[in-house]
Amino acid sequence: MKVSAGNPSCAVLLQSELRRYNRQIIIPNIGKRGQRRIKKARVFVAGAGGLGSISAYYLTAAGIGYMRIVDKDRVKEENLNRQIIHWTDDIGKRKVDSAKKKLQRLNPLCTVDAVYDDIKDDTVIDLVGDCHLIVDATDNITTRRILNRASLIKAIPYIFGGVDGFNGMVTTFMPGETPCFECIFSTFVERKRLIGVIGPLPGLIASIQTLEAIKLILGMEDTLKGRLLFFSGIDMKLKEIRIERNDTCPVCSVYRKREM
Amino acid sequence: MTMKTIEIILNGYKEKVPENITIDKLISFFHEKDSHVIVELNNKYVSPHTYSSVVVSDGDRVEFINPDFGG
Repeated sequence: MKVSAGNPSCAVLLQSELRRYNRQIIIPNIGKRGQRRIKKARVFVAGAGGLGSISAYYLTAAGIGYMRIVDKDRVKEENLNRQIIHWTDDIGKRKVDSAKKKLQRLNPLCTVDAVYDDIKDDTVIDLVGDCHLIVDATDNITTRRILNRASLIKAIPYIFGGVDGFNGMVTTFMPGETPCFECIFSTFVERKRLIGVIGPLPGLIASIQTLEAIKLILGMEDTLKGRLLFFSGIDMKLKEIRIERNDTCPVCSVYRKREM
Repeated sequence: MTMKTIEIILNGYKEKVPENITIDKLISFFHEKDSHVIVELNNKYVSPHTYSSVVVSDGDRVEFINPDFGG
């Protein structure tokens, strides 16, 4: 499955864009053609917290043409150790408004659509809209289950990331190709506990997610499909776990049957 | 009568466990307090629905990993 970002030749790069993105355009894997693909891409970022601060920032800096960022939360003082898109004078503001303000100042050439809303079963399809891929920047299992279903229904990649303490994990779920979120985590239930997070962890995990997003947009191989990366900041080790589809998965097996 | 044991590497440490032990029994054997663990066997994810049928062999590397769902 390839991410459809439209016909890259249709997106004309302005002189200001050629200057701004020069250091990535000169990378052979990108070039002007790749930059046009990035410009044509539409990305859904679910959450404007610790992970979303980073992924939204790097996607905008890279020149993503359109990004929809969704969150229904307001900035709190305790967010500021890791949610670096929000600053002290943003406390009390909507996170999406705070994020949009910074992102527009960072790169006015990108369209940032900030939506103050909950991601729910009955809203997710409209919220994701015609975005080409989903970047998971949520902080709970329930919303991830909803994003996973949207990914399967729309047949678009779902780039999963999660953090806890000094640890984090990341993978890319590709409908029809790889396991889905439920293949791996269907037995896990939501827990009512406050998760501690040291700031650099979402920075690291969301950076990997963003790199995945850009690689998928560029059509590059060797992404995290079928591989769950687990990083432990306690002993500074990176582990790779091979993951496979679960034939009895209660969710994606249903969509597989529909495909047949 | 003594129980036959095998040696595995669990979370990086050598451990002796009963021969023919399955993953679900292994979790109980080590009194893993947190049932919310991902189990990795020789670098491969083990699906929970197979825990009662997957048998651990001598020399296997097993990891119990707590997944991360914060953001």
